[in-house]
Amino acid sequence: MEKPCNSSKVIEVTVISAEGLLLNRKKPVKKNACVVVRSDPFNSRSTGMDREGGSYPSWNEKLVMELPVRARFITVEAHSGSKLIGTANIPVSDFAGGYLPENYLSFLSYRLRNANGEKNGIINLSVKVKGEGAKSGCGGGGSCTASCSGRPWTGVPPVDGSKVSDLGIVTGIPVRYRY
Amino acid sequence: MGNFCSDVKGGQQAVGGGNQAIGGGGGGYSAGHNEAVDFFFRAKGEHALFTPMELSLSATKLRDRDIMSKSDPMAVVYMKKRDGKLEELGRTEVIMNNLDPTWIQKINVTYQFEIVQPLIFHVYDVDTKYHNLPVKTLDLKDQDFLGEASCVVSEIVTKRNRSLTLNLHNRDGRGLKNLGTLTVHAEETVASRNAVEITFRCSALVNKDLFSKSDPFLRISRTVETGGSIPICKTEVVNNNLNPIWKPVCLTMQQFVSKENPLVIECFDFNTSGNHQLIGKLQKSVAELETLYQSKAGANLISPSSGFRRREKVLKSEIFVDRLVEKQLYSFLDYISSGFELSFMVAVDFTASNGDPRNPTSLHYIDPSGRLNAYQQAILEVGEVIQFYDSDRHFPAWGFGGRTPNGSVSHCFNLNGSPSDFEVEGVEGIMAAYRSAIHNFALAGPTLFGQVINKAADIAGHSLSSHHAKYYILLIITDGVVSDLQETINSVVRASDLPLSILIVGVGNADFKEMEILDADNGDRLESSSGRIATRDIVQFVPMREVHVGQMSVVQALLEELPSQFLSYVRGRDIKPLNVPPASS
Repeated sequence: MEKPCNSSKVIEVTVISAEGLLLNRKKPVKKNACVVVRSDPFNSRSTGMDREGGSYPSWNEKLVMELPVRARFITVEAHSGSKLIGTANIPVSDFAGGYLPENYLSFLSYRLRNANGEKNGIINLSVKVKGEGAKSGCGGGGSCTASCSGRPWTGVPPVDGSKVSDLGIVTGIPVRYRY
Repeated sequence: MGNFCSDVKGGQQAVGGGNQAIGGGGGGYSAGHNEAVDFFFRAKGEHALFTPMELSLSATKLRDRDIMSKSDPMAVVYMKKRDGKLEELGRTEVIMNNLDPTWIQKINVTYQFEIVQPLIFHVYDVDTKYHNLPVKTLDLKDQDFLGEASCVVSEIVTKRNRSLTLNLHNRDGRGLKNLGTLTVHAEETVASRNAVEITFRCSALVNKDLFSKSDPFLRISRTVETGGSIPICKTEVVNNNLNPIWKPVCLTMQQFVSKENPLVIECFDFNTSGNHQLIGKLQKSVAELETLYQSKAGANLISPSSGFRRREKVLKSEIFVDRLVEKQLYSFLDYISSGFELSFMVAVDFTASNGDPRNPTSLHYIDPSGRLNAYQQAILEVGEVIQFYDSDRHFPAWGFGGRTPNGSVSHCFNLNGSPSDFEVEGVEGIMAAYRSAIHNFALAGPTLFGQVINKAADIAGHSLSSHHAKYYILLIITDGVVSDLQETINSVVRASDLPLSILIVGVGNADFKEMEILDADNGDRLESSSGRIATRDIVQFVPMREVHVGQMSVVQALLEELPSQFLSYVRGRDIKPLNVPPASS
C-alpha cells in the first residue's frame, strides 16, 4: 500500500441545475445563468451559460478540478451574465471522508444566498472524489497526482452530526460573500 | 392578477419525456398502484383484483378566464373515497393559452372491478406567474376554476372505445352556462421495463416567425387502434433556431406500446399565444427511427395539408435521429426479487408525553391482562410487514427520550438493554425488548429524533463500502411531538443521500402537524440550518389512527412511498438489479 500523500485530490463536480434564481430579489433570471465552482481562491471552474431554463436553469455539466488537501469547503456561485446571484459553501465532509467510500456519487442540494445573506434559489449538484484510475480525469488541473489515489481520503476528519470536530469547522453557515 | 411579467418558460418545457428529476425528490414513478403492496398480498395468496390504468385527458370549449389571452388549463383528477373525502390521483401539465387542450401527462388509476370508484375532474386556469413551478406544488386555491365533471371508472372502461365525454359544470352543480366538455380516455397500463432514449435534430426548418427564426419543438403522439392519436411527449422549445437539437426524450414501452406502432412526430413553431404553428410532420415507428439512426440519414418532414387542393407537400426540412439507445427501467420488484435486501431498524419513543406507564391511560401502559397498548399494537402490525421484506429478521432496535438506569437521558439507547448489541430477532424480539425497556427505562424527554436518525444513517453509510445491495428503512414509532424540529430536519437532510428511508408511525391522538412537515409531500424540500437541502424525500409519516379506523390497511400505509423513495435512490446512481450484468448497453 502506498503512503497517503499530502497533495490534492481530484473531484468531479457535476452541476445539475438550479431552481428559483431571482435578480434583485424579485425578478426571475431570464437567461445566461452559469455556475462557478471554487475549491480555493486559485482553483475554479465554470459551466457554460444556460440559454433556455430562465430562473430554473440546467447544465448537467461535469467540472473536473483539484481539491487542495486543506480545503474545508468548496464554493458554488450562480451568476447571471456578469451578476452574482447567489453563493453556497459546501462542506467537503458532505461528499468526502467519514464512511463515504471513494468514488461514491453524492447528490447534493444547497440553498443559495445573495451578497446580503438572503435566500435566493437552490443549486443541485453531484460530487465524486476520484479514486483509482483518475489519471485521465483531471482537465487542466496541473498537478494531479495519481499516486495518492487508492486509499480512503484522510484529509478531512469525519463530521459525525452530534459533535463538531476539534478543528472548529462550522458546517456551511452562510457567510457574506463579496468580491 | 398582478403578475409582473408574463413568464412563458413553463409552457416551453418538455413534458412526458421521462426526464429524471434528480434532486427533485419524487421521480416519475407511477402512483395509484403500488407494487410493494401488491407483492405482499400476492405472496400471501391473496390476489389483488385490479388493473392499473392510465387516463388521458382532453377538453374542448373551455371558458376563457384571462383577459389578455386565453386560459392556461390544467386538470386535476380525484378519487372520491367511501367517506366522501377526495384523494388526489394526479395533475396534468399546464397548457398555455388553449381552450381546447389535449394534455400529455397521464393520470394513473387502479381499476378495481368489485368496487365503485367515483372520479372527480377539476379543470383550472393556472395564472402565468405559476408556470415555472412544478404542478404538484401549485396551491389550487390560487387558481381560477374552470369547471368540474365526474364519472365512475367502470363507465370509461366499459365504453367500446374506452373514451367518455363529460360536460363540465360549476362547483354547485348548476350547469347554467356552457363550460365546455372533458374527454377521458382510459388504457390499461402495460407493465414493461423497456424504454428508448432518442435524441432528435432537425435541419432547414421553414421559418414561421416574422422578425426572428422559428422556435421549434416536437410533439410525439401514438396512434390508437380505435382511431386518432394520443400525445405522449413533447420536447422543450429551442428558441430562434432552424436547425435545432433537442434534449433526449425517453419513451417507455408503456408510451409507444410496440416498436412497430406508428408514432406521429410533429414539429411546431412555439407561439406564446398558444397558437403553435405546425411546421411539418411525419409518421415513423420506433423500429423505423432505429433504422434512421443507424443509416445516419434524415427523413423529410411533410407539410400540413393546405391551399386549395389540400395536398401534402414533402418539405426540404429533415429530421435526424442523433442517438437512440434502448434502456431498461427496472421496477422496485425487479430489484427486490434479484436479491436486493431491505433492512429495517426500529426506534421507540420513551418520552414523558406518552403518559406515566403505570397509568392505564398511558400509551405505554402494559396491561396485566395482556391487552396490547398502542405501541405494542403498532409493533405487531408493522412487524408483519417488515418481517416479510427483511429476510434475515434481525432488527436493530433503539429507544429514545428515556432515562437510563444510571440516571441520564439518552436519545438513542439499545432497546434490549445490552450495552453493545442493538439487534433483536424477529417481531417477538422487538416485543420482548420493548417490555423489558419499559421496566428499565423511565420516560423522560425531550423528543429528539436526531441521534436515532444519525445512528441509522451511520449504519446505512457504512454499508456503502461493503454491501452495495442493501437499502435501509428506519421505523420511528412516536406519539408525535418533536421538541426540536430543526434538529430532526438537519439529521434527515444529512441522511437524504444515503440508501435510507425513514418511516414515522404516529400513535395516539396528538397533533402530528410537525410530522407532515418532515414528510415533504407538498413539494417543499427540507432545508437544514446550514443551508443544505434534502436531496430527495426520505420520510413518510403514517398516523396509526387512520389505519385503525380502516381508511387504509397497514401494509398500504407503510409501503406507500417506499417504492418511489427506493427507486429515486437506485435510478439516480444507475444501480442495476443484481441479476443484470453491469454495463450492458
